[in-house]
Amino acid sequence: MCSSDVQSRVMKVMANVLKIDEAEISPDANFIFDLGADSAQSLELIAGFEEEFDIEMDEDKALEIQTVADAVVFITEYVK
Amino acid sequence: MSLSEEKTKANLQKIFYPESVAIIGANKVPGTVPHDIILNILKTDFQGIVYPVSPREKFIAGVKSYKYIVDIEDPVDLAILVFPSSVCHLALEQCGKKGIKAVIIISAGFKEVGGKGIMREKQLQEIAEKYDMSFIGPNCLGVINTDKRTNLNASFARKMPEEGSIGFLSQSGALCTAVLDYAQSKHIGFSKFVSFGNKADISEIDLLYYLKDDPQTKVILLYLEEVSDGRALMKAARNIINETGKPILALKSGRTSEGASAAASHTGSLAGSDEICDAAMKQSGIIRCNNIDEMFNKAIAMTYQPLPKNNRVAIITNAGGPGVLTTDAAIHEGLQLAHFSDQTTTFFKKSLPTTANIKNPVDVIGDARAERYNVAVSQSLKDVNVDGVFVILTPQSMTDIDTIAREIAMVNSQYNKPVYVSFMGESDVASGIDILQRNKIPHYSLPESMCSAFACAYNFASHKQIEIEKGDLDAHVDKKKAHNILDNAIKEGRKYLPEYMAVDVLESYGLPVKKHGLAKSSDEAASIAKKIEFPVVMKVMSDQIVHKFDVKGVVLNINSADKAREAYDSIIRNVTELKPEAKIDGVLVTEMIPKGQEVILGIKRDPSFGPVVMFGLGGIFVEIFKDVSFRVLPVGKNDALSMLEEIKSSPLLHGARGTKPSDIESLQETIIRLGQMAMECPQIRELDINPLIVLSDHDGCYVADAKIML
Repeated sequence: MCSSDVQSRVMKVMANVLKIDEAEISPDANFIFDLGADSAQSLELIAGFEEEFDIEMDEDKALEIQTVADAVVFITEYVK
Repeated sequence: MSLSEEKTKANLQKIFYPESVAIIGANKVPGTVPHDIILNILKTDFQGIVYPVSPREKFIAGVKSYKYIVDIEDPVDLAILVFPSSVCHLALEQCGKKGIKAVIIISAGFKEVGGKGIMREKQLQEIAEKYDMSFIGPNCLGVINTDKRTNLNASFARKMPEEGSIGFLSQSGALCTAVLDYAQSKHIGFSKFVSFGNKADISEIDLLYYLKDDPQTKVILLYLEEVSDGRALMKAARNIINETGKPILALKSGRTSEGASAAASHTGSLAGSDEICDAAMKQSGIIRCNNIDEMFNKAIAMTYQPLPKNNRVAIITNAGGPGVLTTDAAIHEGLQLAHFSDQTTTFFKKSLPTTANIKNPVDVIGDARAERYNVAVSQSLKDVNVDGVFVILTPQSMTDIDTIAREIAMVNSQYNKPVYVSFMGESDVASGIDILQRNKIPHYSLPESMCSAFACAYNFASHKQIEIEKGDLDAHVDKKKAHNILDNAIKEGRKYLPEYMAVDVLESYGLPVKKHGLAKSSDEAASIAKKIEFPVVMKVMSDQIVHKFDVKGVVLNINSADKAREAYDSIIRNVTELKPEAKIDGVLVTEMIPKGQEVILGIKRDPSFGPVVMFGLGGIFVEIFKDVSFRVLPVGKNDALSMLEEIKSSPLLHGARGTKPSDIESLQETIIRLGQMAMECPQIRELDINPLIVLSDHDGCYVADAKIML
């Protein structure tokens, strides 16, 4: 799976969890600072990524993901 | 004032008196910190503009919200950060770009959680420095300013306190909310209320200096969990007390002895960080309290009422028992019962019932109503022999409690002398207490607390100028010699100095050491002994021997050269037999010290307060009772004397039970010299002089044994 596929699916999950338009999400957007994710939504995002990519993420490490770009790198590694 | 101090002061002014406030990381969810802070600011009628900043919300609590702080067109004075710790640096960076100089960082998850938190806190410090910003926190409750010109509750406390003259600074946010609740129930008001959390930028020292110049603050309360810069705290306290006369009361938690457990010397094990903190606070005029009750009992006394000019009190009571209890407590606290003037006595005879006790404590009798209280309190306040009045009330069926409370408040307002009150009881007196508290009359449930508060106010008033003594004598000091010995020992890899070297270091600072010499043969021992006056004492010197008596390595009272030879040989024989592995450096021959009072002196370096000196009586007084006193160095003559007077066993120095008084003056000088040595010789980590023998008056004192840790 190439990283642009991962990115578009990450953005889809984010738009869904944060209930915002996909167009509002830029690759370097910070979940909390730019998109306003609260702590519950941060956990929902992890769950959303796990479901979307059928992976199981280490929660502590996953919570360190701050941006779309971070998420893409992290998930691409997992999917490999 | 340095540039950085000026910057901090200017930025603090923006924290307390902002014309506009932005809450960054705001949300609409009731019961969350970001939401409640906005509500607190809005509902307390803040006299400025409020800008919620939220990545998602268009408005919060009816106020337009911005996505980023940089989106706000107008300047913003104060930013409050409530984002999670992982993104606070992004928000702070934007604040810097926006030109905001004052920030409160409420968010937790920094130094207090360790690991990444430490890094995040450092990141905040770097950003603040880059943009010349100052911030309070992180990990704090926020800031409250009750000054009507601002009316700012930038915190997530449940309530805004009443306006008052107490400035409260706290390292713990949770304690703040408890204090606010406590204070509200007693109508205690605050000028400024600050939870400063991790103090990553603005510290308690900066805040103390700010409150020094704050006209709304008369009394400063401080809650500390750790003192990061003890010397700066002492300097600030002395400066505030000396220049403004504002009392500082502190509650410092952590009275445990854990810090002392790893110490290498007697002094180290006795000088826990709390004992040193205690001494430092005393030296700098800070009134240390044991609990919140005590702190506020004393604070209201000094905030509401004038400080007593002297310690003569009049007690007015409607019940004999409580009058006696108060008398006992007053005497226990070092107060005096005032002797009424003839005029007052005559007046009381005329105005009070014949059954009343017109002597101090004045018993106005159980059926006393407001008028009788008025007569007794007014006349007492008029009396030149009275410096303050204690009013006691117990609720009888005819006692008009509320009227009496109002009458006391009215009378109090007419005189410039302190009136403290104790309405004893609970529910019957509750409304009367409320009247007193609303009228700023200090009220105490127990007469003991009342007397303790008065004594505290009196002691503060009588020692308002905190002297800083120079603490060096200069004469007879060979600093170079001391440094040479210490530096060479460190080069040799020594962890401590053997006694024969330690005494040379002490001697170079003019400390009282008897004539001595290190002998490496029996003939040398005899020759040294002849040079110094008989009798002499001889002791084995070896790094491997801690307890010299245990290996028969000490011989006392040697009266001739032949005996010195014999003693040398026997010491070497005994030690070789009992401790064959010991490497013997020689035998120290010292002039014998006559019998005297044994005391211990010590030096320790505290990470926060720097070098400190310890004093105590030797033997069981140190071992069992830990009867010792400390001072942060330097110390002068008065400090040294107060150290001697402070220990419980000090009467022994003054000649108790038929013994002659000890030479206090030489002891004082020894403490000062030791202090000077500790200040000038950073190579000394810890030091014990144990014992120092203090002879009777004018005969001096002498070091009998010394240990210097490097």
